[in-house]
Amino acid sequence: MRNGTIRDFLYEAPGPKTRRRIRIATAIALAALLVLIALIIRQFAATGQLSARYWSFFLRATTWTFLGQGLLTTVEVALTAALISFAVAFLLLRLRLRRSRVLRAISTAIIEFTRGVPTLLFIYFFFLVVPQLGWKLSAFWKITLPVAISACGVVSEVLRSGVNSVPKGQTEAALCLGLTETRTFYRIIFPQGIRYVVPTLIAELVIVLKDTTFAYIVSCADLMQNAKVLISNYDAMLSVYLVVAVIYILINYLLNRLSDRIATRSGRRAASLPGGIAQ
Amino acid sequence: MSQPVIDIRHIDKHYGQLHVLKDISLSVEKGEVVVIIGPSGSGKSTLCRTINRLETIDSGEILINGTALPQEGRKLAELRSQIGMVFQSFNLFAHMTVLDNVILAPTEVLHIPKKQAREEAIQLLERVGVGDQALKVPAQLSGGQQQRAAIARALAMHPQAMLFDEPTSALDPEMIGEVLNVMTELAENGMTMVIVTHEMSFARRVADRIVFMDAGTIVEENTPEVFFAHPASERAQNFLRTLHAPQGED
Repeated sequence: MRNGTIRDFLYEAPGPKTRRRIRIATAIALAALLVLIALIIRQFAATGQLSARYWSFFLRATTWTFLGQGLLTTVEVALTAALISFAVAFLLLRLRLRRSRVLRAISTAIIEFTRGVPTLLFIYFFFLVVPQLGWKLSAFWKITLPVAISACGVVSEVLRSGVNSVPKGQTEAALCLGLTETRTFYRIIFPQGIRYVVPTLIAELVIVLKDTTFAYIVSCADLMQNAKVLISNYDAMLSVYLVVAVIYILINYLLNRLSDRIATRSGRRAASLPGGIAQ
Repeated sequence: MSQPVIDIRHIDKHYGQLHVLKDISLSVEKGEVVVIIGPSGSGKSTLCRTINRLETIDSGEILINGTALPQEGRKLAELRSQIGMVFQSFNLFAHMTVLDNVILAPTEVLHIPKKQAREEAIQLLERVGVGDQALKVPAQLSGGQQQRAAIARALAMHPQAMLFDEPTSALDPEMIGEVLNVMTELAENGMTMVIVTHEMSFARRVADRIVFMDAGTIVEENTPEVFFAHPASERAQNFLRTLHAPQGED
């Protein structure tokens, strides 16, 4: 099966006995899940978390506009950070593929540094150190830059793995046609390499998005920061966190679905492409 | 006769301890078809790949139309653009349509207007019999079709010579013929060709000269008639014997 999930490659089709066992296991798991949910609700009720005062403000439009504004900022921060990160990662990749040992070493050092240091440290650096150096940044950049820096090393390595998986014959064929090495990279190698790693890049975007939740540290009004405002306004922690968590889960779930779809599509493209392509 | 298109002079190459090319000299005249044969590991593919510097050499020199093969940069790229190369594994650009594969180098390297390059590409693809596959991506084509498209891609650069590095070795038997037919047609039209192959009956039919290599040296060079009928060296005799009588049609 060409478009199957990893499961189809790892296991053979189940027989009648296995199917029965799967059904039993499914039933048990569902029952356990229901019990768990019931327990949680009971606990909520027992501690008064289900009381209307913790939930009624979600009926107001202003609550949602407020969260929506936060979400918009979150998306802005995440996308900007992702773009910067991608650009820096690309530069690091180009350096790393150079023949000069020094340039390669510099690139490797930067990549390892950004991969090794936790995002939070970069944020503190931009929050505490950078202003002391006299560089005034808005809250937006105080979160966007460190998140971007934190991701660029990993993104660069992802790009490199994509570029490395392009068969050597592609380079040779391009060189034989008289393309220069640089042009070979831009026209032949990179366009193919990036196709291999689009799903991984999207997975990395999920990490970037989650890193943006540190925005509250620099008082950037993202979804998380606005959630905190709601919490202190309504003195309602659990319900707000719950709703916000669901929002994050939804976004990241959609991103992961997108990544899966792209992964299967590029696998299938060769087989399904019609002979005629619009020019 | 004028100067040779390809002039290889006393080249040597090592892979670490292994001496893969030992003092090889070979020249190819304009319009000549030279077929290199020999057992696996004899260095014939490596020799073929040194001609456009896909493999570097340790000593000696290679002249293309009297000019020494440049070591790097634009000069090397320019020279490579004059020599077509066909690989065992086709190496069509996987992310482009067959047509775009053929158009890429003419437009980007020779700066031929796109419309003209396109028309010429379609003609070439029709000439090798894959005109109806032009808008597909390589993975949708059979091996034989891919290799013929790869030949069209090389021809689009109007090369002065074509190198074939075992062009049919990766093909299913029923597709070998269609590729060899295209190559035969090229040879008949006067293309200068260097071909590394195991197809003996094809070699006999098309070659002006057979070069027999073994263990990194050229053991014997002769016309196909003489070589296949009366190989001079013992190594060539042994090699031909192990092929147990090539299925020649004559």
